[in-house]
Amino acid sequence: MSGSEILSTLLGSEVRGDLLVLFHRNPGLIDTVDGVARRIGRTTVAVINEVRELLELGVLRQKRIGAFEVVSLDRAKDRELLESVANHLKTVRISGEK
Amino acid sequence: MRVSDSSWINPRDNFESVPKSLSPDQRFAAERAFSSVLVNTVREAVGDALGRNVLEILTSKGLIDASNNSKEFDSKLRSLFGNGAAVLERIVVKDLNRKLGIPYDSEARFDYEKSLETAKEVSFVESRLK
Repeated sequence: MSGSEILSTLLGSEVRGDLLVLFHRNPGLIDTVDGVARRIGRTTVAVINEVRELLELGVLRQKRIGAFEVVSLDRAKDRELLESVANHLKTVRISGEK
Repeated sequence: MRVSDSSWINPRDNFESVPKSLSPDQRFAAERAFSSVLVNTVREAVGDALGRNVLEILTSKGLIDASNNSKEFDSKLRSLFGNGAAVLERIVVKDLNRKLGIPYDSEARFDYEKSLETAKEVSFVESRLK
């Protein structure tokens, strides 16, 4: 997957942006999708597909703890993906840039 | 009985008049204070969403310096992120509003420039009340 595609997936929706900020500000966070939704002030319905996208990308990982399915940040994969994004952005020229 | 007649006016409902009542020095100080809050908020928002490396690249491309010019910032952000620019702008406005105590409605139509104008007016009102 290219840096550009990763970026499009990461910033694919406002909820996904909120999830990225939540997990980057709290990299040790482990919570259910319900809990994550509450933390960003959204409903579970609004969040579930967005979490799935981030799970598919690999930023988040899911595991079972007792009776609960929980999600957390995959720090290594996250670092790797953001590195690809950074390398992609280095090549993009913006208006006014020399 | 005139229930609505009150001597207290919510400063956030009265954006137009208050900034004009600032002296030039106060206005300059308020502009600088708001600019500082905005730049810090943009740095935090971009860094928290996409990491330190991306933030450094955007800084080197002059994007963070453009934070105070909402049109230029928006244009540069769009040339880099396409549709993702709006997501980053919403993160910035959400954080800025939280810092300034302005309610944020994610369902409402989003206009980055107008949101910053509102935040600036609130920031000016608060600096006048200090």
